Formats: sequence, structure tokens, C-alpha cells
Amino acid sequence: MIENVMHHLGGIGMYGIISICIFLAFFLCMLLWAFRLKRSYLSSMSELPLDGETGRQSPSASSHPQPLSRHE
Amino acid sequence: MSFEAVQGQPAQAAGRGLGIETFLYDNRIVRAFAIATVIWGLVGMSAGLLIAVELFFPGANLNLQFITFGRLRPVHTNAVIFAFVGNGMFMGIYYSLQRLCKARMFSDFLSWFNFWGWQAIIVSAAITLPLGFTTSKEYAELEWPIDIAIAVVWIAFTVNLLGTILKRRERHMYVSIWFYIATALTVAVLHVVNSMEVPAGWFKSYSMYAGVQDALVQWWYGHNAVAFFLTTPYLGMMYYFLPKAANRPVFSYRLSIIHFWGLIFIYIWAGPHHLLYTALPDWAQSLGMAFSVMLIAPSWGGMLNGLLTLRGAWDKVRQDPMLKFMVVAVTAYGMATLEGPTLAIKSINSLSHYTDWTIAHVHTGVLGWNGFLTFSVLYWLFPRLYNTQLWSTKLANYHFWIALLGMMFYVIPMYVAGVTEGLMWKQFTPDGFLQYPNFLETVVQVLPMYRLRAIGGTLYLAGVVLMVVNLYRTARSGQFVPDTEAQAAALHHEEPDSAPALSHRWLEGKAGLFTVLSVVAVLIGGLVEIIPMYLIKENVPTIASVKPYTPLEMMGRDIYIREGCLGCHSQMIRPFRSETERYGEYSKAGEFVYDHPFLWGSKRIGPDLHRVGGKYPDAWHYNHMENPRSTSPGSVMPNYPWLLSQKLDESAVAPRIRALRKVGVPYPAGFENGPALASLHAQQERIVGGLKGGLITAAPDREIIAVIAYLQRLGTDIKAPSAASPAPATAAAK
Repeated sequence: MIENVMHHLGGIGMYGIISICIFLAFFLCMLLWAFRLKRSYLSSMSELPLDGETGRQSPSASSHPQPLSRHE
Repeated sequence: MSFEAVQGQPAQAAGRGLGIETFLYDNRIVRAFAIATVIWGLVGMSAGLLIAVELFFPGANLNLQFITFGRLRPVHTNAVIFAFVGNGMFMGIYYSLQRLCKARMFSDFLSWFNFWGWQAIIVSAAITLPLGFTTSKEYAELEWPIDIAIAVVWIAFTVNLLGTILKRRERHMYVSIWFYIATALTVAVLHVVNSMEVPAGWFKSYSMYAGVQDALVQWWYGHNAVAFFLTTPYLGMMYYFLPKAANRPVFSYRLSIIHFWGLIFIYIWAGPHHLLYTALPDWAQSLGMAFSVMLIAPSWGGMLNGLLTLRGAWDKVRQDPMLKFMVVAVTAYGMATLEGPTLAIKSINSLSHYTDWTIAHVHTGVLGWNGFLTFSVLYWLFPRLYNTQLWSTKLANYHFWIALLGMMFYVIPMYVAGVTEGLMWKQFTPDGFLQYPNFLETVVQVLPMYRLRAIGGTLYLAGVVLMVVNLYRTARSGQFVPDTEAQAAALHHEEPDSAPALSHRWLEGKAGLFTVLSVVAVLIGGLVEIIPMYLIKENVPTIASVKPYTPLEMMGRDIYIREGCLGCHSQMIRPFRSETERYGEYSKAGEFVYDHPFLWGSKRIGPDLHRVGGKYPDAWHYNHMENPRSTSPGSVMPNYPWLLSQKLDESAVAPRIRALRKVGVPYPAGFENGPALASLHAQQERIVGGLKGGLITAAPDREIIAVIAYLQRLGTDIKAPSAASPAPATAAAK
């Protein structure tokens, strides 16, 4: 079926099939790799940009309803 | 540590007993790149606007060779890609990398070497490209001395980047850093491989590759320049600045892992989709198409990850222009990465290729993704660098809406023009003849779209001017913070990582291994495609009748390159009846074995020229180059009066033949010492004699004669002998 679809894309032959296989194998490995990570670690890593001197102090990124600029 | 930072305060080891270190982030380098981004953005977009006007008003170049469309187009593309986006990329990396690594840049010297070296390269490009010093390879036009400078500066950047990562105080590398690593290493590989050339003088070189192989390497480079210069560094910036602006973490860190590895692994395979239906072997085209379609998966994963980061924060988008720009940028990324794979499907590409559809696609990416993301980061950074607030949110909002309107006025007319061109080129009458046999009919049809496009470009540029005012006033209202003090615990590498071995978490703590694996993932696709192209002889079947260019034709070809003719004229007839009816026999791989570099082009504003040899008399070409409208009423091609007056540089013949011999063109030994000039003079005299038949008196030593020789040779090698007029001179070159 896949071969039929790929042929309709433009006479692609065996290279399309090989490409699909490489693609699927690579993605499956990546999915497995990513889903083995612990939620606590993912959470701590995704917080990294917000660490330290954060943009939260600045009005434009603030959760406080401060004016964004001097000339609103 | 407060951002209301400590100016000039020396780094000190406060709280040393707790292992806490105090250090300073370098804001000077970030400000320098930010200012350069703005200045070069104005320059690059202004150049774009001028060439957009020249496309419907060819006299806009004032008959000056330095600002003709062909020479200015690479100025525009290089300025926007490497100067505007390049400086924007460095700005984002130098700001975010220090904070994600909790460390100052590895070396202030390398930072400033990177900055001034990059600016010097840009200035060199802005001078040499209008002078006609170009390799002609798209987005790699700069000549070899500048190529070497690029390599040196890029190495300095890479060392600084990796050095900073190695001295980081954060054990694990955040996703942005992975994208920066992939950018630094892949761009280095792409640049070195594609720039392999043999010099024939200080500002002239010939590609080591020829024809089909040159095309494959060039578009492997060209496509991945889009991937690893315009996309991956900006994705790294998106993963850092979007969470900061939205004040919430990225939607899914897991998804970002799949996004990163999927993108860098697959992107590199997709280059051949720029060469569908050309003389490139079918297997390479198929690989390019298949992997391009697959690219949708990681690209949309990243796009959705960006947009979903804003979940629950859409109220901020309404208020904050920075977030507005960011949302449009990420959306444009999604649109462009859906459209790209679509255009890579062969049946769709047969319609879209060489048309303005490609121009629309590219500008959705650059204006939307790169432009809007850059504006967003600039609006975010300036108030922080100057410890103040943005001068005017209202003005930034005006900028947003004007830029969005400008982008729409740009891309929508280009889509209309592209589809119109594609359909008109392929349209047959019921009797089986081309409906529009005169190419000019299809050009004239889209001129209104070109005018609308110029309006769009003007609006977009006007928005940037508003931003410049806003950023300048913001800077004036605050005080620059040259260094920001921060504190973090030292990272002791000797301490074991608690992450399970071979897990992704473990890998994120191993900078060296991560770098190596990234390079391996990137190289696989390139090697699989490029190596067989060189090793398997059947990929480029030779044709016995194809011979090297004569010295005069070679010089004419170099003028064709100098003038950037391939910006408007392709030399690749695809195997469609609509093309063979219009231009002649389709192009074969074996016809380009002496083409260093290949000149297939990527856009047809004028007709394909691969079989133009022998199609018109010499006098037609002479008159056409002097004033295209004298032979082709309504043409938008610029006049080339300087070709009629400038003398051909005969002193360049010998070094060029020597250089071409080094890259494999079989000129006989000693040919450049006498026989070459004799052949050149004989062919000049024949052409001048022919011109007299057309009532034209021309001096044989003018550049126009060489251009005519080259044009009359094009595509004649496999034509019947009667059509191949310059045979005697060709024989002299054997």
C-alpha cells in the first residue's frame, strides 16, 4: 500500500521505501529515548530558561499588569 | 540576582564556602550584534526593495552595472541571510548561551573577533558582489579569500561556543544549546565542502565540482544553509526566548528532543528536492523528495511545541507586541515547513519550480519566521540591556501590523504570479501548440504582481524604520548595562551524573559526545547522497561530442557569471513537452561535465538559455544586450551597454585555463601559452565579421563579443553539426 502511495507521488521506487524505513526506525528510537525520561527531570530542564535573572522582572514579560512602555 | 545589574563590578567568589561563584554576563557583545542586526536588516531589505522595483522598471538601475538586478540580487540574499539573520543569530546565541550555561562567554577576545570578523566579511561582500566578483553558487557567491575568512571567523565562533559549554555551571544542556551546537558544526561542514574551488586570481575561482555533481553539492549546501543557518539557531532562540516572554516553560521538553534529532537527521537528506526533473539521477531526486515529505513531522512538532507553550498565556499575546511577533514567527515557520515538503512532491514541483511560487515560499520563511522572531527578540532585549522599559508599545504594535500587512502584500501576489507563470508555461492549445510560445507574454502577465510585491516590501521596510526609532529612543531613555552579575554553584565534572547511562538525560550532560552524535546524524544523509554521485560512473553518462569551451566562450561564460545572468535565466530544460517545445531537447547530465560551476539557475524571469546557441543571429544578441526592448518589446531585462564598451581582459585567459585544467577540464598542456589567445582572436574576428552582416560595427576586443560566443555555444554540443557554428574554435581548444 505504501509503495502504491509513494508511486503516485512520482515514480519513486525502492528509495522511497528505504527512506520510509530509515525514517520510522529513527523516529521509533527517538520516541523510546524521549519517553524513558522522568517527568521530574523534564520539568526541571524546561524551567531552565526561567532560572536566575529572569524576564519576569521586566514589565513586558511580567505577569503583573504593569505598563509595557513609557508611551502606551 | 537582579537584572538591575552591577556595572563594572569585578567578578568575585562570594559565598565561596558554599561553592557559589559570582560572575558577569557579557552584554556588550550582545548589544553589538543587536545593533548590527538592525543596520544590516535595513541594508538588506533596501537592496531587496530596489531589485523588486527593477523587475518591473528595468531603468531603475540607471544603466549602472553595479546595481543591476543580476549583481544586486546576491547582495540582497547575502545581506538578509548572513548579515541580518546572521547577526540576529549571534545576538540570540550570545545572550541565551551565557545564561543557560550560567557562565560568561569562553573568551571575550573570540567574541569580538567573531563580531568584527563577521562585519568585515559582510562589508567585503557588499563591495565585491556589486563589482561582479562572484562564484555564482547561490548563497555561496563570495569568492575564495572571503570564503577563507568565513571559515576562520566561524571556527572562532565555534570554539567560543563549545568553550562556553565546557565551562558551564549547569550540568545538563538545555535544548537551545543542542540547536546551537548543530548550527555551528553543520554550517562549518557545509561551507567547507561547497566552497572547494581552485583560484584563478585574487577574485576568481572555479568550483572543484562540475555539472551534476556541482549541482548536488550546491543544493545540499543551499538547502541546509536554510536548515542550519535560518532555522536551527532560530529554533534554539525560540526555545529560550518564547518561554521567557510567556513566563512559562516550554510545552513539552520530550517533544523538543524528538524535534531536535528528527530535524537534524532528516533535513540534510532533502537537498535534491531543489533539482527535481533535472539531469540529476532519479535515485537522488527520489531520496530528496521522500525525506522532504518526512520533514513535516519534526518541523510541525517544533511549531506546535512553540505555540502550545503559550497555552493559558494568550491574554499576554494581546498586550505584548513581542509575543505577537513571536506567534506570527512560529506560525510562519509552520506554514513554510508544510509548504516546503509540498513543493518537494515531484508533480507539484513540476508546476512551481522556476516560478515566483518559490520566491513566495522563501519569503514566508524569511520575512515571517526570521524577521518576526528577530524583531521579537530585539524588542525583548533592548529594554533589558538598557535597564528600562520599551519606549513605545504603541509604536511596536504599529510595526507589527505594518510588517504583517507588508508580508501579505509580498507573498500573496507572489503566489498568484507563481501559479500564473507555471500554468501559462505549460498551457497548450487544442491543436497541440504552446498557448503562449513567446516567454514575454508570461512575464508581462505577472508585472502587476511585481508592483504589488514592491508595495509589500516598502511596508515591511517602513515597519523596520519604526522599530529603529523605538529601539533608539528606548536606549536613550535608559542606561546600558555592560555586564550583568550572576551567581551559581560551580559544576564539578568529576562528580558522577545521577542520570542512567545512555539515557538522553545522561547525554545532555556529555557535551563532547553530544557534539559528536550531532555531527554523525547530520553527516549520514549527506554522505549517502554525495559519495555515490562521485563513485558511480553511470550517474553522469558522458557524451563524446561535448567538448571544453573555447577560450573566448570561457571568458564569455565568466562574464555571464559576473553579471549574475543565472538570477533570471535557467540552463536546465526539464523533460516536459511544454519545455522541449519551447526550448528544445531536454538537458542531459553529460552536457555539463565541463561546467565549473554549473549554471542551471533556480528562477526564470527570462527564458531558459540552455539551447539558445544558434537560435538567433549574432547581431540579435548584440542589439538585445545593448537594449533588450529593441528586439523584445516589453522585456524587463536591463540594458548592458558596458559590455559593448568594456575591453575583454585577455590577461585573465592563461590563469583561468590553468585553473580549469586543475579541476579536470582537459585543455592540452601549454594551451594557455599562445594557442589559447590565437584561438580567442580568431573567434573574435569571425563574430565581428558576422556582425557586419547585421550592419553592426564592433571592435573584436569588447566583452560583448565573448558573451555572444558563449551564448551561441550553449546547448549546441548535441545539436546537429550544422547548428554548431563555432566548431573551428572549439577544435582549437581540444
